[in-house]
Amino acid sequence: MAIRANPHLIDELEKYGAQDVVKCYHCGNCSATCPFSGDTFVFPRKSMRYLQLGLSSRLRGNLEPWLCYYCGECSEECPRGAEPGETMMSMRRWLTARYDFTGISGLFYRSPKAELLAITLVALLTGLGFTLFGMSQGSLAVYDGPGAFLPAEKVHVFDWIMAGVLVGLLGINCVRMWWFTVGSDKAVRVPPGQYLKQVLLVPWHFMTQRRYSQCDRKRPWAVHLVLMLSYLTMLVLIMFFLHRLQHGPAIDWTVHALGYAAALGLLGTTLFALRGRGLRNETHYKHSHETDWIFLILLFVVTLTGITQHILHRGGLETAANVIYIVHMMGVVPMLVLEVPFSKWSHMAYRPLGMYFSTLREKALLAEEQDSRTRPEPVAQTA
Amino acid sequence: MSKESRIGVYICNCGTNIAKVVDAERVRDMVADLPGVACARTYKYMCSNPGQDMITQDIKENNLDRVVVAACSPRMHEPTFQKALEAAGLNPFLLEMANIREQCSWVHDDPGLATNKAADLTHAAVRRVARHQPLEKQEAPYTPVTLVLGGGIAGLTVAVELAEAGQRVHLVEREGRLGGNVGRVDLTAPYLDSARDILAEKIVQAETNPRIEVHLRATITDLQGFVGNFTATLSHTHEPDQEIPVGAVVVCTGYHEFDATRVERLGFGKYRDVITSFELEARLRKGRLETSDGRTPRYVSIVHCVGSRNPKYHAYCSRVCCMTALKYGHEIKSALPDAMVTDLYVDMLSFGKGGEDLYRRTSELKTMFLMFEKGDYPVVRKAEPDDDCGLLVEVQERLSGEAIDVPADLVVLMVGMQARGDSDQVARTVGISQDSHGWFIESHPKLAPVSTATEGVFIAGCCSSPKDIPDSVAQAQAAAAMVLGYIAQGKVQVDARYAQVDTDLCSGCRMCNELCPYTAITYDPDENRSSIQSAECKACGTCVAACPSGAITARHFTDEQILEQIEGVLAWSSSQP
Amino acid sequence: MEFEPTIVGFLCNWCSYTGADLAGTARIKHRPNLRVIRVMCSGRVDPTFVLQAFSAGADGVMICGCHPGDCHYLEGNDKAFRRFQLLKRLVAAYGIEEQRLRLEWVSASEGERFARLVDTMTAELRELGPLVRPPDLAGAPNPCPEVPREVAHG
Repeated sequence: MAIRANPHLIDELEKYGAQDVVKCYHCGNCSATCPFSGDTFVFPRKSMRYLQLGLSSRLRGNLEPWLCYYCGECSEECPRGAEPGETMMSMRRWLTARYDFTGISGLFYRSPKAELLAITLVALLTGLGFTLFGMSQGSLAVYDGPGAFLPAEKVHVFDWIMAGVLVGLLGINCVRMWWFTVGSDKAVRVPPGQYLKQVLLVPWHFMTQRRYSQCDRKRPWAVHLVLMLSYLTMLVLIMFFLHRLQHGPAIDWTVHALGYAAALGLLGTTLFALRGRGLRNETHYKHSHETDWIFLILLFVVTLTGITQHILHRGGLETAANVIYIVHMMGVVPMLVLEVPFSKWSHMAYRPLGMYFSTLREKALLAEEQDSRTRPEPVAQTA
Repeated sequence: MSKESRIGVYICNCGTNIAKVVDAERVRDMVADLPGVACARTYKYMCSNPGQDMITQDIKENNLDRVVVAACSPRMHEPTFQKALEAAGLNPFLLEMANIREQCSWVHDDPGLATNKAADLTHAAVRRVARHQPLEKQEAPYTPVTLVLGGGIAGLTVAVELAEAGQRVHLVEREGRLGGNVGRVDLTAPYLDSARDILAEKIVQAETNPRIEVHLRATITDLQGFVGNFTATLSHTHEPDQEIPVGAVVVCTGYHEFDATRVERLGFGKYRDVITSFELEARLRKGRLETSDGRTPRYVSIVHCVGSRNPKYHAYCSRVCCMTALKYGHEIKSALPDAMVTDLYVDMLSFGKGGEDLYRRTSELKTMFLMFEKGDYPVVRKAEPDDDCGLLVEVQERLSGEAIDVPADLVVLMVGMQARGDSDQVARTVGISQDSHGWFIESHPKLAPVSTATEGVFIAGCCSSPKDIPDSVAQAQAAAAMVLGYIAQGKVQVDARYAQVDTDLCSGCRMCNELCPYTAITYDPDENRSSIQSAECKACGTCVAACPSGAITARHFTDEQILEQIEGVLAWSSSQP
Repeated sequence: MEFEPTIVGFLCNWCSYTGADLAGTARIKHRPNLRVIRVMCSGRVDPTFVLQAFSAGADGVMICGCHPGDCHYLEGNDKAFRRFQLLKRLVAAYGIEEQRLRLEWVSASEGERFARLVDTMTAELRELGPLVRPPDLAGAPNPCPEVPREVAHG
């Protein structure tokens, strides 16, 4: 059964940031240069081909974009300027939108205005909500302790509810990802046992970013690792130690030291990335989709307001600290609510899962190959 | 031997090329004692100036009357050594070379056996050269009128170039109009200039220049004579034949396109919306691009290599189709900006100036390129009634490994070039050969692309192989230049090695008459003798070998000379006791 | 000592001689048993040459011309082919084995082919052994130069 060629997929991907895909004439330089390209993966050429022909179903089931870390060497080698690196990036955005069952993701990617509007709305709602809540809890002049405007225990509950909802949404999207890539693939059957055997790959890759470290260029991995670990530290501190974080004005060195380190890490890396994207001083910084800016700016603002409120609190300016706290939440909530299930944050799940699923697929293919070799040859039948 | 020759034998070392395997000194020692050898020497590089000077000196000082040079292939340096003889006042035909490099030292490992072979070949040369006779070159006048066959872009170029140089031309065109295949084209790749404009200029020049006589609806039915002195028989429809004297003929008969009905899968002839590139050109010239039922096409597919690069049809590549297909991408997009253009190709041959640029620009227009395997043509079928296109083209797409259905309202087949059906007639009439595909054969594919084996007959344009307009024009200008070269000299050299009939020995059996491919042998019924027109004889020797009376001699390749050579190679090597 | 056959080759100038030169330029090694005599066209080869070669001591004779249709002189190789059909029978009548006489088409670009031809024919003749000359041909006088034509064509 032949698949119908669809010339309009490229137009769609252009909204997701694809640049000059039409220029690719399949010389294969990109695949030859890519440090990850090998026997089983021949990216980025194959994905680009699916895109050029408009084979959306093939592209949707493709795990390869998640295995690419945008070192940018392919784009540098491309003789036609077809930007394979950025095309892979745009595919990650497109896949994120495809996995999302609500359709919101697609909307945000295609219309940055919609995303900004949503951020503004959620921020305002958050601001209003927290202000009203705070007024019902205590006084603006009290940051911590009895009569606090935003008591840690209550904020803690809110945080956990929000986390639950987001994890639920993202979880559904991850199941969809599994279905599109491995679950519905009739060509490769993954035995259930394998799922369990390889499951440790997920946290392992998540924590070490091991595949990223295998790129030829080490600095992007290092920067990203610092960013990720800083964020993770901050997340753990907030989810489990909010009361100790907020408690003050004395400094609780065990938690606050980690907090300072994490904050510094976040600030440093986001500034580094913002500067890079502004100056376009690296191949993977040359093209920036609106979602790339939104992600960095939100993270930066959230980090900055977080540090500021801490300083203000330690400095005794509790009213100011509370105000900044609200502003901080006006950044945190939209950032997490909109980005975790629907936008760039989702990659924290999709990438390790991508690694996991592709390993499962590889092992299943290998097993099948071995099976067919050891299977006894059918005996020729005489009529 | 009746008269004792004085033969100088020179054995070259060619640096180490010969000396590494062949013992030149030993060969010298072996031949030095042969009867007739006055001196035998070895030297490092015989073809060098001192080497040649040595020969010239020796001839003068030792009264040598024959020279043997055992060295590289005569195809390499025979003219060089002939000059050395001439410098000493000796006739250049009194030289014989023995090939002890290309056919000896370069291909044999065993020094003993190789040296023996070199000695045998030199011995044979010595025995042969004793039989050489001095030969004088002949000259004939040159008629400065040129016949150009074919009024396409190549023929027009030749005619105009010659006329501008002040020479007379007969331009003979079979059809009723000038312009040939370029006259059926709208715009040309890669810069999209108008074919009409390119031609118009040349046609106007051809029709208005008084030195060019244009003959439309005419052909040449016979060509007699030899370079500088041809007589062509011009045949017009409904007019008596005319005989015109010309000095040279330039064949520019062009090509025909491949018949696409031969590739059934593509549905040409079956579906009205499957058309050839030429049919598309016609529509583009009219400015109307429509499907057979008058609708504007939303999808146009272009299929490359139809009839080319496939041993089933034609194994060669037709060279121009890829660029033309890319050109169509542009023309269609500019006529129908919303149309989707798909280009189904095998390899993209985007050579030369502007080729890669055209390819890139066509990609930027969002043309979808699909690659299929050579010979595995896509299959065209009718789409379903509820489909948004008229036809579907199924391609086994190589770059993705998938079977792809491409929607199409119009399918354009890039039909290849093939030799015209009447090209064997033309070849026979003017006396040139065709290769296995029917294209006319040039003297040398690299060094002499517009000359043929028949002196005075040139080929230019697509009649010798598929090519684009710049190359056709270049070849036409080259042929014109070569003709002007003849005209500038005013006379032609006739090969001195022609065959001759000894009328005393000729019995009038006429066996030779029909053998000559150049019809150089004539029979005189009154004398009952055959004779050979020396100027027309090409010295192939076929008649010589056939004559039962032994009446015909091939100058410089006589029976005696060859028989001496046979004896010479076997004298030291034969297994005869 | 091992028997080394001697083969006389008549190569046409335009195709086969050039092909043999190409084998040289490409350094394609082959057996040194062939002795080449250049003619302008394979159509020049008089059957007398072939017989004289056998008579004078050749163990084999090879005639090489252009591929049919490609003759520089248009049809010379066709004539050579026709003559060869008769010559084959004549040579066989002398009791000379058919492997000793070959007609081959070698184009100017077939250096490799030429080299392999020489090797093949050499190997075959080595197997066959030296040509045993019929008694009436052995010791035949050299046909040149005293009374060349009568002896050659008599």
